Amino acid sequence: MSPLDLAPLNLSRLDLSHLDLPREAADLGLRVLAAGRWPESVADVALPVLPGFTGSSFSPLAAAAAGRCLDAYAYGPGSAELPVTAVVVASALGDVAGAVRVAEAVDGGGRLGPLLFFQAVPNAVAGHLAARRGLTGPVVCVGGARSGFEVAEVLLADGDAELALLVLVEQAAGPGGAGRVDRAAAVLLAPQEHCPTHRQLEGARPWVTPRARL
Amino acid sequence: MTDTVLTARRGPRSVVVGGMGVLSAFGRGVGPLLGAAVAGRSGFGPVERFEVAGRRVDRAALHPGEPLLERELDRVVDEACGSAGLSAAQRAGCPLYLAVHGDPALARAAPVWRPGHAVGAFAAGVARRTGLAGGGRAYTSGCTASADAVADAASAVARGRVERVVVAAGYLVEPDQFAVFDAGGALARDGRVRPFSAGRSGLLLGDGVAALVVESADAARARGADPLAVLAGWGRAGDAHHVCRPRPDGAGLARAIGAALLRGGVGPERVGYVNAHGAGSVLGDAAEAAALHRALGPVAARVPVSSSKSVHGQALEAGALLELVVTVAALRAGRLPVNAGLLGPDPDCPLSLVRASGEPGAPAGPPVGLALSLSTAFGGANAALLVGLP
Repeated sequence: MSPLDLAPLNLSRLDLSHLDLPREAADLGLRVLAAGRWPESVADVALPVLPGFTGSSFSPLAAAAAGRCLDAYAYGPGSAELPVTAVVVASALGDVAGAVRVAEAVDGGGRLGPLLFFQAVPNAVAGHLAARRGLTGPVVCVGGARSGFEVAEVLLADGDAELALLVLVEQAAGPGGAGRVDRAAAVLLAPQEHCPTHRQLEGARPWVTPRARL
Repeated sequence: MTDTVLTARRGPRSVVVGGMGVLSAFGRGVGPLLGAAVAGRSGFGPVERFEVAGRRVDRAALHPGEPLLERELDRVVDEACGSAGLSAAQRAGCPLYLAVHGDPALARAAPVWRPGHAVGAFAAGVARRTGLAGGGRAYTSGCTASADAVADAASAVARGRVERVVVAAGYLVEPDQFAVFDAGGALARDGRVRPFSAGRSGLLLGDGVAALVVESADAARARGADPLAVLAGWGRAGDAHHVCRPRPDGAGLARAIGAALLRGGVGPERVGYVNAHGAGSVLGDAAEAAALHRALGPVAARVPVSSSKSVHGQALEAGALLELVVTVAALRAGRLPVNAGLLGPDPDCPLSLVRASGEPGAPAGPPVGLALSLSTAFGGANAALLVGLP
């Protein structure tokens, strides 16, 4: 049993609001280069529309948080040019709003639009992000935050990617019901000790910290 | 996009397949599935499991009756662990990596009960019922999900983080995914899957539930077990091209293949068979042919290639594992799965497709060397697994 397996992570909570992502990353020997989330403040009321996606907040949530994360990295002291970057999407319930919508249409004899075809898997929004941002690393989707961190660690340790964009998404339509809100958080991860493309980033990046605590 | 894959690394331990279990349209067990694959006997028929009136296509490859995903997952995990000869204590120390679309009950659960239907809880339930270590990790990356699970299991074993992992995956054709694939125009209008063929019109869904014991060669040896296969290499890469269309030049899949060969420590000339993703889609098959030529060079024109989806259909999250089982079984039997449904050559897919026995181009002998099993998915996800006989 490795230290990785024994890491005392408690990421079974479906609410992302209390996750200390830099700490969780550090437990796995990773560090957070940038972070983003949705919502970030009370100003985040209307989720930006994501062209090509319809009927569920899942993909727009993922895109909003990931976009903020990557923008923070690009416009911070780092490079705008990303090396080979993996995209890992983690969600306990997946696109539950989309799944319910499809089930209701099937059971009620309703018509299904063709766009729901590719939205049925979380890879779709990962592909959107990868195409827009030039992320050429592996695309992997898993069922929760802990698994997401572990898979990102493996991809970095094995050299499948130099960086990993981890996107955590949970919809209000899933856990808890009324009173909950849709949430997504994204972190750009690098190995703790070795990141040759970004040596200039050694040391603290204070601007990351407030956003990284999600 | 660079073709460089020289950054791919792996741990030093040799990784083997210790046991397998499977359910397909052809029944339970490896034998019926392999028999259909090497004969090129497809399992597609009218869907009677649920209502398909109003759908454009009404065919899939179904196991008879109404199998339950949970029960069949438990059964294949038992079959795989049993064939590997694992004791109860060995199972209890073994994590489960499970590839599924999600908990099948989630979409129709009352909102208050939905948190109990998280996919991780579903995986934990399989682990608990089958006597594996608690927890369980769930993979949901569509048609590459079970290849991801195998790759991560192989990585963990190769690095010595664990002795073994049970990888399982399941998809049983159901009305929701059938409906969205039909609405998206992805299903084959002529009721056949014709990978790499002229006149191909799309995919058809198929039942697939499979499990694999991925373990270190040392652990198998210590148990006195004979491994079924060596998991020599694995690789993954992204297209960075489109939400759901493949990159036409195949560069992402080619990098995944290159990483698998690099981890296996072999060149393209050692590849003796490719079980392609080969969904039967116009764009996807052409992109995959381009990827094979890009990754394998001159070997791509002569290495035998088939897509066993032409026989058992597309099992979505379970597809890569189902096809890995077919590939391992074919290597062991010394016979190649046939690329069924071929109407004629497509100039965009210049590959040496495996024909049925007695047809021109049928394999002259058993497969020689290693076999690649390839998977691609929406989002530009690509995966390659490299296996060989022990």
